[in-house]
Amino acid sequence: MTTTVQATTPTGEVPRRDDLGWHGSSFATQVWVLTQRSLNTFLRDPRMMFFSLLQPLVMLLLFSQVFGGISQLGSLHQWGSYINYLLPSTLVTTAMTSAMSSGVGLLTEMSNGVIARFRSMPVSLFSVLLARSLSDTVRMAIQLVVMLIAAALLFGFTPAGGMLGVAAALLVSLVVGWGLGWLFLAIATWVKKAETMQAVAFLTMFPLMFGSSAYMPVSTMPGWVQMIANVNPLSYAIFASRGLATTIWEANPAYTLIASLAISGVIALIGGFIATRNFRRTN
Amino acid sequence: MTEVMIEARNVSKAFGTVRALDDVSILVPRGTVLGLLGHNGAGKTTLVNVLTTLLKPTSGSASVAGLDVVSQGDRVRGRIGLTGQFASVDENMSGIDNLVLIARLLGATKKQATTRAGELLGTFDLTEAKDRPAKTYSGGMRRRLDLAASLVGRPDVIFLDEPTTGLDPMSRIGLWEIVEGLVDDGTTVLLTTQYLEEADRLADTITVLSKGKVVAAGTAAELKAGVGKRTVSVVLAEPEDAATALNALSRAGLHPVHDKVRHSVTTPVEKSTDLATVVRALDEVGVEVGELALTEPTLDDVYLAVNTEAPAA
Repeated sequence: MTTTVQATTPTGEVPRRDDLGWHGSSFATQVWVLTQRSLNTFLRDPRMMFFSLLQPLVMLLLFSQVFGGISQLGSLHQWGSYINYLLPSTLVTTAMTSAMSSGVGLLTEMSNGVIARFRSMPVSLFSVLLARSLSDTVRMAIQLVVMLIAAALLFGFTPAGGMLGVAAALLVSLVVGWGLGWLFLAIATWVKKAETMQAVAFLTMFPLMFGSSAYMPVSTMPGWVQMIANVNPLSYAIFASRGLATTIWEANPAYTLIASLAISGVIALIGGFIATRNFRRTN
Repeated sequence: MTEVMIEARNVSKAFGTVRALDDVSILVPRGTVLGLLGHNGAGKTTLVNVLTTLLKPTSGSASVAGLDVVSQGDRVRGRIGLTGQFASVDENMSGIDNLVLIARLLGATKKQATTRAGELLGTFDLTEAKDRPAKTYSGGMRRRLDLAASLVGRPDVIFLDEPTTGLDPMSRIGLWEIVEGLVDDGTTVLLTTQYLEEADRLADTITVLSKGKVVAAGTAAELKAGVGKRTVSVVLAEPEDAATALNALSRAGLHPVHDKVRHSVTTPVEKSTDLATVVRALDEVGVEVGELALTEPTLDDVYLAVNTEAPAA
């Protein structure tokens, strides 16, 4: 009996019909190409860029004007004006907001279909996540630099740490934002819906933001809030940023620096692990 | 021996207690088209997802181009193109940037990527719109861009999951022609569809899925033979001619039925020459024909013929 087609157990790869020699790109190329792509999307959308740059400025304006009076407080005297106290912490909180939008961005992309395309390609899905993390960190850096320039020009931000101190504070904020970005990417791949993501994000962000020394010295808060503020990882980042920018340290410099960087690293590691797991192809 | 490009061996996939695929086997030789026919929820997309490495089968195994979809997933992904039900392109990016991105990810240099993108934009009639963001494209253009994106690496196996659902008739025919062109080039295609007409036109063999099971398989002609009959319905110009018409058609060896509501006489037919028989028989007895239609069997007829309940629409 002759059959033209037989059921086979796979005996090996059937040769390609016409081979372009494109058998997949290296991990580095994937990350590079995908990072460029995300950044281009941001840079080519002037409206998105405008509003994401405007948002922290509006926050800064609101807080500095509404709460400006509290600089009369004895515990704030040493910083001179409230903006010097507020801006280093706003670097950190803005980095956190930006990290949150990283998760929302991933979800938007998952619904717009392009992720589905990558899934059926010889592309590492971790490179998709890493590219998003990198491009969002660059975006965050642009946001923070714009905010710093505006603060210096418009709000009279004159920190004692000078350019170098401010640059160091910016760097710490970026590391913290990068770490939190992985946390929000993990949340995004877990909740899978932009609406749920927003709800979870606000539940995480507001307690972290206000239960810290971001806007008020911890010493002015009731005892139980002080307890929260003292274990809030964001507090360490804020102490570090403020200490570097203004040279006034509210806690041990080495300790706050190491704690904020180490916590960010751990969050990035755990977040990255969970996000990658949830983002896998098959289940 | 013809090479087997797509093969599923007793594949089952369970989601909790729901069996989305139940012991499904298919075999697609190189350069042929398999039409996977079934209603929504029949398991078509699940099978495509298993074959394209997006889902692991619960049991059974599958291979594409001789590569196992579970253990050699990444190599399978390097060989296939997938066009899903929803356009998988970056809506914020232009047509050309979408294609260049994919070529770069596949390993092309910038220059090679741009050249390949240009070729595809030409083939798919998108050259004029190449610099516009994909979100400004019409449904048909988006589907063409999506298909072009699946073809960047010249894959010799492509999966098309309901490629024409939601397209207007012109775009649908355009897409059919593109698929036929690919097959002429030797591409192996697995296509899912809800339309018997589409499977009939494009597929060499058809597998019918219902509730995760293969309920029929064969060539379009074989399936239709099983379904039997195409029907001819004649709307009478004068309703009172019904009796005369029924008599005349019975005498011609057909089995007509009278539809009183539509004033028509309907009869199953076997061969295409039967259409002439109907016209001649009616003409001989002087019955005036208002409208004449030859109806092809539908997917539902296939379901009914294989004694399977068609899911409620």
